Amino acid sequence: MAVVRVKRPPADRNIFFQVAGYVAEIGKGMRLTMGIFLRQLFKREASNTLEWPEQPADYGERFKGKHFLTLRDDGEIRCTACFLCATACPADCIHIEAAEHPDGSIEKYPSRFEIDILRCVFCGMCEEACPVDAIRLGPEYTMAGAAGEKWVYTKDYLSQRSVLEGGVTSVKDENTKHPDLDREDAAQTSHLKHGVH
Amino acid sequence: MSIAITINEEEFTAEQGQTVMELAQQHDIYIPHFCWHPGLSIAGVCRFCMVEVEGRPKLEIACNLPVTAGMQVRTDSEPVQEAHKWALEFHLINHPLDCPICDQAGECGLQDYYMQVGKYQAQMTQAKVLKPKKLDVGVDLVLDTERCILCSRCVRFEDEVTKSGGLGIFDRGDRAIIGTYQNKRIEHNYTTNLVDICPVGAFTSKDFRFKKRVWFTQEAQTVCPGCATGCAIDLAFNADLKRYYRIKPRFSEVNAHWMCNFGRGMYMHLNVEQRLLSAYSAAEDAHKPMLKTDTAHIVQALAEQLQQAQQVALLVTPQYTVEDYRALLAFFVGKLGIRNVHQWRSRQEDTEKFDGVLWRGDQNPNSRGLLEVLAEFGIDKQQGNEFDTLAAGNYDLVIALAPQVLATFADIETDLQKLQELPWVSLWASAKQVLDYRYQQVLALTCFAEQRGTYRNYAGVERQLHAATSPVSAEIMSITALVEKLAACCKAQEDEHGSS
Amino acid sequence: MPDNLTKVKILTAFEGVPDSRTLTCYEAGGGYQALRKALALPPSEITAIVKASGLRGRGGAGFPTGLKWSFVPQDSDMPKYLVCNNDEGEPGTFKDRYICELSPHMLVEGMAISARAFGANKGYIYTRYEFFEEIAWLRTAIDEAYAAGYLGKNILASGFDFDLDHYEGAGAYICGEETGLLSSLEGKKGQPKLKPPFPAVSGYLGCPTIVNNTETLAAVPWIITHGAEAYRKIGTEKSAGTKLFCISGHVQKPGVYELPLGYPFMKFFAEEAGGMAAGRELKGCIPGGASAPILTPAELQDATLDYEDLAAKGSMLGSGAVIIVDAEQPMVELLKVVVDFFHHESCGQCTPCREGTGWLANIMHAYVKGEGKESDLPLMHNISQQMMGRTICALSDAAAMPTQAIVQKYQDELKNYLQAKAG
Repeated sequence: MAVVRVKRPPADRNIFFQVAGYVAEIGKGMRLTMGIFLRQLFKREASNTLEWPEQPADYGERFKGKHFLTLRDDGEIRCTACFLCATACPADCIHIEAAEHPDGSIEKYPSRFEIDILRCVFCGMCEEACPVDAIRLGPEYTMAGAAGEKWVYTKDYLSQRSVLEGGVTSVKDENTKHPDLDREDAAQTSHLKHGVH
Repeated sequence: MSIAITINEEEFTAEQGQTVMELAQQHDIYIPHFCWHPGLSIAGVCRFCMVEVEGRPKLEIACNLPVTAGMQVRTDSEPVQEAHKWALEFHLINHPLDCPICDQAGECGLQDYYMQVGKYQAQMTQAKVLKPKKLDVGVDLVLDTERCILCSRCVRFEDEVTKSGGLGIFDRGDRAIIGTYQNKRIEHNYTTNLVDICPVGAFTSKDFRFKKRVWFTQEAQTVCPGCATGCAIDLAFNADLKRYYRIKPRFSEVNAHWMCNFGRGMYMHLNVEQRLLSAYSAAEDAHKPMLKTDTAHIVQALAEQLQQAQQVALLVTPQYTVEDYRALLAFFVGKLGIRNVHQWRSRQEDTEKFDGVLWRGDQNPNSRGLLEVLAEFGIDKQQGNEFDTLAAGNYDLVIALAPQVLATFADIETDLQKLQELPWVSLWASAKQVLDYRYQQVLALTCFAEQRGTYRNYAGVERQLHAATSPVSAEIMSITALVEKLAACCKAQEDEHGSS
Repeated sequence: MPDNLTKVKILTAFEGVPDSRTLTCYEAGGGYQALRKALALPPSEITAIVKASGLRGRGGAGFPTGLKWSFVPQDSDMPKYLVCNNDEGEPGTFKDRYICELSPHMLVEGMAISARAFGANKGYIYTRYEFFEEIAWLRTAIDEAYAAGYLGKNILASGFDFDLDHYEGAGAYICGEETGLLSSLEGKKGQPKLKPPFPAVSGYLGCPTIVNNTETLAAVPWIITHGAEAYRKIGTEKSAGTKLFCISGHVQKPGVYELPLGYPFMKFFAEEAGGMAAGRELKGCIPGGASAPILTPAELQDATLDYEDLAAKGSMLGSGAVIIVDAEQPMVELLKVVVDFFHHESCGQCTPCREGTGWLANIMHAYVKGEGKESDLPLMHNISQQMMGRTICALSDAAAMPTQAIVQKYQDELKNYLQAKAG
């Protein structure tokens, strides 16, 4: 094995100057810490500490907290069960079952939509992946609970829990109903009215 | 006669009468296409497969371009790429782009080509032509005329393969729609092929509709167990969930590009809710349901019964592999010298029946294989149902191999009923339904999707099975594995007797 | 006027003759003599004469007729068919019906001679159903010819059999395309067939079939009677013979005129057609039916009416439908009508045509309402570019070419229209 010799700088003989530097920095740090400590000790309102949970904390609108599902104008769930959120989810925590919607003008909808919140990493990829603005991560961050609680959020909980106050309607203009789907003669192709432009 | 031509400056040898598209497919040269399908006639309507031929003023479509000596073809030049890009744009301007709710997403020609040649901003700003959606046009078919790109593959399939002519293109221009004739539906045994050949999501399968996104499935290349034809299939499943979703045909000499709807149902019996998940043995009160028992115990009990029994018979259905039959017969016939082997087939079957396309009346994938293996062991038999011979045979031990697909036996219930009246039956089966009956013991077998092996189809052609997943439960075993276990048990017993 | 451009009445020989549609009148004028002459000739000789005459297809493409006939495989034992394309769907064209009106027997005779040339024993005349009267006249002529022994078994004791039938189309433009016509004749949806194989090899019911335009077939008797040389002398070297020109629009005397090919356009326009209608000003001219690119007055000055000169000017002779556009006509409206027509008539088989014509129509509908953008013009150019030469038949080209020409030549007007609408 080849030995590489490197040139080292000569050792500083004056150890005092080296140590003195550290001591000075520690002093500065302590001054800041003690300054804040003393200021907040006598002036409580300057403190950043909250008396949570009595006092609510505001994380801002962009906080990625508990998920919710948005609604259409008519109150129906927006999700079309395309599975893109489930595909994008790195934690594999979204479980969807798709079905034919009873309303003929909507083709596909999730008969089941569940998020296993214990697996969720709150990355927000589901929100990114959704083509119809159906899933969002809201500002709720309080998700503590006891062992017996439900950790799998159901479709109803995700779209209608009390915090959402009747549900959040998305204004995105896509994914509107197809005007031609409401026809009665859907099973017959030979005498169809065609869409005109 | 062979002809030398060059594609993208590379030399190829082509056959006289071949088209550039066929040659390109043979050598995996990428030429995008929608309307061309190897199993159908040439329509030349999608105008997507444009290639450049040296010395010709216009781009030509590869699908209808016969090779000529010295022809120089380019599939990647700038005009060709530009033409492909525009061809895709033309296809997409009236396409609804409802990929999120379309089952074809993930295996759609438009999506694939968009990723390869497209990725542009759409230039059309006007409203799209609206057409009827979600039409129920026949067995297992949902038609969305808006997604349709009018490649006419389905119309040609109806005209050329099934010769049922059930579809037509009505109206013209961009108002044209695919549809059935008035008051007519497409009702034959091959409708789901329309879903397969549709390059977009215009035809989707009712059975597979919304069940699973295709990118969550894997495919195993195996063989359809539905009848004696033995079509090559791609079996779609999810390995993590051990669930099966659908069956699609895969090209082979036997079935070309197609398969029947009946065969497509051959995944249903594979899923866990239909399966026998462990071994069972009779309760003390014979009228009570059988009890879940450890396989080792059951095999032990069977070995003991084999020792005691005077008259032993085998009842075998032609729905297992050649390898399994060999293992089975090597032990029972070769080693134990039992010669009472009976075939168990459907009573009302008409093995001569053939619909002229693929489906056969003999709904056992390995009728030929069973007879051949029996012959190997010196038991020469003709094809036929010998259930009644066995039932009348006064045997004190019957080992019966139930059909894998119970539904293929017209009166399986009567047979299973009769079987439970025999003195001592060890039933080897894979369907949960057998638990409705009372036998001395039941052993859980693997299904075709969980094992390798060989079938011999009606013409004696070898059809190779490939495993998709491991069995849904550890208690499920193949016939070969069970016979091995049984042989080991018998040997241990002999040794014990020998030493005592 | 040089000799070759002297007016000769070949197709319009019976113009002004009373009862010209009757067999007696036609025979009195020398009718069916050519058939007698032709039946005495070996069939290959007829093809040779027509080849030598330089007769070219009058339907629009201008393909040499004799050459087309020679593509019929003579060793095939399949029946051969001759089909007369009397569909005349090109907007601005009304020449074939004029032949039917003047002398339907000329067409019947021409068909019998042509059928003899390549050995067809069955012929059809395909006419759009809207030509009620023409169809009746043709049917009468066929009946008369049968009665006189010019059609049917053993024509004029020559041993040659030729049966001729009439078929009514449903009026689709695409059925004027020869393979579209054959599909329609077979009872299918009128959609062009993929080529190759060409109809001469595999056409009607998969048999060798020749499809010729009415005007082409009607010229055959004259060629047989007067010889190839006489026909060749008329017109230019590459465009021999006479052609019917239908002039329409704001001219003094719109109508059908028979002129030698190579005739100067301005002379035809000013002298025969009498120039622009009073108070009107020439803005452009579509020289060969709606599918031909428009020519500006400057381009028209030295234009001659033949295949080569118009092609060199970027347009085409087409069916000889000369549409005069006057200055008051907004080009936006004209272009909208043109693209609307092709959008309506596209059979929908090939994607670029199906989607392209609809797209162009969409753009123009918005444009006319003033909802267009200036970028629509290059977009329309690009769409048209990608529609050309990309499809089974030429309908896509027919839609793309006039679009490109109008967008390019009348760009300023189109842009001003948009600004005027906006302002």
